[in-house]
Amino acid sequence: MSTPPAASPSVLPYTDTKPVGSPDFYYGINSTFKFILAKLGTAGWVRYLEDMAREYHAPANARWKAGGLPAVAAYWRAFFAAEPGSQVSVSEAPGRVKIEVKVCPALKHLKAGGRKIAPEFCRHCYHMGNARAATAGMAMRLEGGNGSCTHTYYGRAAEAPPQDLARIKEVSS
Amino acid sequence: MIGCYDFCGHYEWTFGWFERTGGHALVRAYWYEAIYLDAQTHARDLIAKEGFEGMAKYWGHTLLEESPSLGFTITQRPDVFRIDFHDCPSRGFLLRNGLKNYRDYCDHCMGWTGPLLKDCGFTIDGEHNHLGQCWWEMRKPDPKRGISPPGATSGSKDARLLPNWKGPGAVIDRYVQASDPDAKEPRST
Repeated sequence: MSTPPAASPSVLPYTDTKPVGSPDFYYGINSTFKFILAKLGTAGWVRYLEDMAREYHAPANARWKAGGLPAVAAYWRAFFAAEPGSQVSVSEAPGRVKIEVKVCPALKHLKAGGRKIAPEFCRHCYHMGNARAATAGMAMRLEGGNGSCTHTYYGRAAEAPPQDLARIKEVSS
Repeated sequence: MIGCYDFCGHYEWTFGWFERTGGHALVRAYWYEAIYLDAQTHARDLIAKEGFEGMAKYWGHTLLEESPSLGFTITQRPDVFRIDFHDCPSRGFLLRNGLKNYRDYCDHCMGWTGPLLKDCGFTIDGEHNHLGQCWWEMRKPDPKRGISPPGATSGSKDARLLPNWKGPGAVIDRYVQASDPDAKEPRST
């Protein structure tokens, strides 16, 4: 397990002039989730995540579709290298990519800041990741949560087991 | 995962999603309830307790994190706290990456800081040109006061003195002793 190497900006479709993001923005992400859950319910929150997955992330999804699992692995290596405080390993095996999140940068910062975190927070990675994968004919599954978890991308959606949402832990603030 | 590296991108996309989902009222509620009352509680706590000193601590920290290249200048005097952005890290991210899902991203600043500063006893004068350049003056309200002339508060750092302040593509929005994102004066170019 190790912190990813420096970001490869060309792998990420949207790039900044600084190498890593500002962690206080995790406060905004968490507050956005809580706001949508309160106003629109779980179904509205899932719709938000899936819409963002298909629209905002369309350029990256297109690269996944063109480049397959190696493009998925390269994306997540670059992604986590730009997220401050993350400890993540990305490994490739036939037919799948595994992302082992030893330290989730968002939950680390939110907990350190004493924030009340949406209990459903960790499920956003599944709803968004799987919707993005689906645009490229893939599937994503998640287990764990509350600070560490494993994401698995399957190159063929039909080979992925069903996602059991109960295997995604609720977050304790 | 939704990350912080490209936060400004999905934040802007979110404004458009809210407008399509629940109209302008939902966008305003988001800035007020989610950003001001929840995400930025640390800003409110500092400014409510320490006034201009709290603003200096909050924006000094957060802008340095967002803009380590120092695309901004803070000016603090006994009667005013001012920020001049020559290269807004947030708007700049959108411009560089060609992102636009909401009609006026810059409104979000007034959307959450306006109510916060109002609750702390301040109003905002300011202008932005939608090209990543703007200025903000936070003061105690005074109905007799107009906006400060260019250079009067921050000297040569005044964003209005930049050669491209009214350059190609610039559309100026102005707030005068405002607290509400919809309280803009008529636009000029």
